[in-house]
Amino acid sequence: MALLDELKELGSNVGEGLERFMGNAALYERMLHKLPDTVQKTDVWGAFANGDLKTAEEQAHALKGATGNLSVTPLYEGYTKVVDLLRAGQAEEAKAVYDGLVPVQEQVIACIERNG
Amino acid sequence: MDMTILIVDDIEINRAILTEIFKDEYNIIEASNGVEAVEVLNSDVKISAMLLDLLMPEMDGLGVLRKMNESGQIKSIPVFLITAANSDEMLMEGYNLGAVDIISKPFTPHFLRSRINRVIELYRHRNELESVVAEQVEKLNRMNQSVIETLATVIEFRDCESGEHVKRISGLTNLLLTQVSNTYPEYEMPKAEIEKIALASVLHDVGKIAIPDGILNKPGRLTPEEFEIMKQHTVKGGEILQTIPEIMDAEIYEYSFDIARHHHERWDGRGYPDGLKGDETSIGAQVVAVADVYDALTSERVYKKAYDHETAVRMIRNGECGTFNDKLLSAFAAVEDKVRNREWLD
Repeated sequence: MALLDELKELGSNVGEGLERFMGNAALYERMLHKLPDTVQKTDVWGAFANGDLKTAEEQAHALKGATGNLSVTPLYEGYTKVVDLLRAGQAEEAKAVYDGLVPVQEQVIACIERNG
Repeated sequence: MDMTILIVDDIEINRAILTEIFKDEYNIIEASNGVEAVEVLNSDVKISAMLLDLLMPEMDGLGVLRKMNESGQIKSIPVFLITAANSDEMLMEGYNLGAVDIISKPFTPHFLRSRINRVIELYRHRNELESVVAEQVEKLNRMNQSVIETLATVIEFRDCESGEHVKRISGLTNLLLTQVSNTYPEYEMPKAEIEKIALASVLHDVGKIAIPDGILNKPGRLTPEEFEIMKQHTVKGGEILQTIPEIMDAEIYEYSFDIARHHHERWDGRGYPDGLKGDETSIGAQVVAVADVYDALTSERVYKKAYDHETAVRMIRNGECGTFNDKLLSAFAAVEDKVRNREWLD
């Protein structure tokens, strides 16, 4: 249970997450281990750098859904803000929120990988 | 577990959660994009519901919905859109394309389960009812057909003929009308319509029920007065059919009425009862008229012997039985071998 405890300390709503997986902690953990790969497949940073705001929005949107379902609350809330700001045409503000989100995301991924 | 849910999402985490929620009650098939989803839909697997993500690579959720609209599957398979609050336009388009409901991320298993179970049950019930209705319609059609055929046979016996005359008229009508439809664009019609007209043709002489025996079965020439009464079988036929429209499929009723009333009209307007000219008479009634004349000529009647095929064809061409549409006569000539060999009876 080390992984779930550590994620809880990082602000994840682990109780809600477990409920979503019908109380199946093993499956919940297995899906949490898919998160690094899911993040790896996207490149929100690159999309912002290239000014490709459509791709940035789509990928932030996908990560919002996945982190929401995993109840990794800080990432879910962060990506929700990024998507909302991009949709409102506030690209600079979105980029600023995303920049703040990157270290949190790295922390979460490191935690998941450490507990593999 | 005989019901299957198709889960379509490009993110494995989302698919895994949905699978976990539903795997105890349903068979689960997962697809990671729209193309894979359409492949599953086109396979033999019967899908009871689909949970569909909107944003996906290859083909997105709206693309899948469009395909389902093209194939008609949208009517029998309930589709739930999975969304983390996508744009309103997208959701609206999804609804317009026939999605039944929206599932928002993050998922709430309990609500999700009861909502989806309820809709699946509703669709199952509806699909079942539809198949019951289809069965009943089929039964009704068969009954219509047997009512029509029974009625036609009754008339035949009254007319001192075997029940074969109406079968020959129906077969000949089908053969001729198919030829006319294939040859002349202005008379082109679908096969199903030709079959309805051929079926309706068996009632062409239904009005003879109202003609006195002494005239109907008189061996020898009718007096002008008797002939006037005999001619009334067209009008009487229409009247009789008008009293029973509800027993027949509306379209067949229209055809039988038209044929009963107009199968003695002629191209030059010298037929009866309305003296219609040319294409004022429907092509269906025109074809039945030729078929009826041909069959009358080649059959033995109380007042005459049967003519052979060649003589009958010559008499029709020469206008000895009234004038007919030239195109119809050409079509008749084109299928003459089949007519002579009675191939249409097969």
